[in-house]
Amino acid sequence: MKILVFIKQVADTEARILIKSDKKSLEIENKYNMNFFDEFAVEEAVSIKEKTEGTWVAVCTYGSKRAIEALRTAIAMGADQAFLLDNTNLDSDDPLITAKILAGFARQEGFDFILCGRQAIDDESSNIGVMTAEFLGIPHVNSVMKLDIVNGNRALAESEIEGGRETIEVQLPALFTTQKGLNEPRVPLITGVMKAMKADIPLIDPCSTGLIRETIDTGAARINVLYYETPQGRPAVRIIEGASPEEKVKGLIAVLKEEAKVL
Amino acid sequence: MDFQLTEEQGFFKKTVADMIDRMVVPKSQEIDEKDEFPWELWKEFARLGYLGLRYPEKIGGLNADKIMCMTFYEEIARGSVGFAQSAIMNILMGTYFIHRFGSDAIKERCLYPAMKGEKIATMCFTEDQSGSDLGATRTLAVQDGDGWRINGTKMWITNGPICDFCTVLATTDPSKGLKGLNFYLVEKGTPGFSTGQIIHKLGCRGTVTGELVFDNVWVPYENLLGKEPGKGVSYVSDILDEVRLMTGAMALGIAVGAYNEALEFARKRVAFGQPIGNYQLIREKFADMDTMMNAARLMIYYGSWLLENNMESRVVAAEAKMYATEVCLKVVDELTRIYGANAFAYEYKSQRYFRDARFLLYGGGTHEVLKDFIGRSIIGKL
Repeated sequence: MKILVFIKQVADTEARILIKSDKKSLEIENKYNMNFFDEFAVEEAVSIKEKTEGTWVAVCTYGSKRAIEALRTAIAMGADQAFLLDNTNLDSDDPLITAKILAGFARQEGFDFILCGRQAIDDESSNIGVMTAEFLGIPHVNSVMKLDIVNGNRALAESEIEGGRETIEVQLPALFTTQKGLNEPRVPLITGVMKAMKADIPLIDPCSTGLIRETIDTGAARINVLYYETPQGRPAVRIIEGASPEEKVKGLIAVLKEEAKVL
Repeated sequence: MDFQLTEEQGFFKKTVADMIDRMVVPKSQEIDEKDEFPWELWKEFARLGYLGLRYPEKIGGLNADKIMCMTFYEEIARGSVGFAQSAIMNILMGTYFIHRFGSDAIKERCLYPAMKGEKIATMCFTEDQSGSDLGATRTLAVQDGDGWRINGTKMWITNGPICDFCTVLATTDPSKGLKGLNFYLVEKGTPGFSTGQIIHKLGCRGTVTGELVFDNVWVPYENLLGKEPGKGVSYVSDILDEVRLMTGAMALGIAVGAYNEALEFARKRVAFGQPIGNYQLIREKFADMDTMMNAARLMIYYGSWLLENNMESRVVAAEAKMYATEVCLKVVDELTRIYGANAFAYEYKSQRYFRDARFLLYGGGTHEVLKDFIGRSIIGKL
């Protein structure tokens, strides 16, 4: 069985992000990690591999050479192989283009099913998994909290929906986006780290998968960022005055009812 | 001259840092407050395999180079100094002589389990009257039949009260000073070997430090860790540079942790209508700290490079340890100034860095001793 995992390298949640003076681009502190939700995808793939003989896990990402570090982390966790789909001179922000590129690679590489995080924590577009599945013409299940592969050709996926969970049976090949709670991503053993350090990670030109350059280069983006703005700062803290705790509570309730209008 | 870590070393550093952030940092406050050895964390951590970092792959180690080792020591100290001390004792000092001189049977009983965290190792140098002055060691080893009889007391032994085995520095002839020194393996359960007083420390809490008593302890001849008696001090020389650089790396780790706390606070704390990071005298502190930490890092990596390439490293290692420690003490002091009165409360982490940093003054030689050694090395015999 071959499992393909898509990951994305994103800025660390504690990295400083500043909007540049043109308001259209960002200056990001040089701290990057594997996307939070993709960790569940890698962990799930490796766990299935450990339980099922003959399973091969390949991880790929579409990004710059900097993203090789995230691929090495996936290998350290137990993936067998990793690939970088090189974004040099190509658009790197448009989810549709990214999905086309990932689908092109997946088609060429072959797979039994695909795992990826339900969203990236930087742009939170939540589009890539779904769009890639559509390009590949395969079913997809989102926000998977439990996944059982049955007889190597179908899956029972429990996904999170509003107010509960839904279990879906789906024929493979299929794509599953992973949600927090699916598993507990492992801390790599040092043997995995050492293997990852030495791993050979090929750089792949997305055009080598049959895509036409004009459809995926910087001019082909469907989304155009107009500007960025910083979130509104938190308003000043207001201390509710009162001679006693009871009075302060009354004062607070009055504010919540009449000013904040949440009661 | 390439000052960058290789891609491999950079990935290793990042992975270790992530691991420490996930596993150790969340428990660091509890470790300090309870001041008990964190057995659960030890088991989880041991499972990852880092305790075998320095040793060859053929015996289950990772053959990590010196730079990778220093990176590891820095990150684990940044997480929790108490936990770091115990782990590093297993990785380096507590197992070094076993690996180098132990028989196959000794390695099976001691080294390999220690590399997996199944046994706890330690090394015993310090006595009541001798720290830097190894020549004043009084613990005596006398040949007795086909073994050795050891008598004495060791003090300030990291992991001592919980150890499964220890490498003991003892003299076979006090009149010979340094030339009478040797190392011996003593295992838990050997009659006469016991724990004495446990020391309650200002910092590095969570690691158990105390006294070990050797009362007519008899060990077989093969427990002499060395080719022949009297070579002990030359073997100390072989490990000394690495121990000093390791201490410097720990100092850097504590400094980085403290510095990051200070930076976050300076960005958020508002005084007179703006974040205190906007004021010149606060900015000066960061300028000074960053400069010194960069210099300390370069010295530690330089010393490690010299050691890795079997070049003369004695003076640089001593200088790196000394400088990195003094930088660390400066950084933790500045942290407590930037924090203001909050630094005086146990509730905030700043006080833990301040307390933990202090121990670095002693491991690998006090700075007074190191300065004299460095000056003597430079000026030469007159």
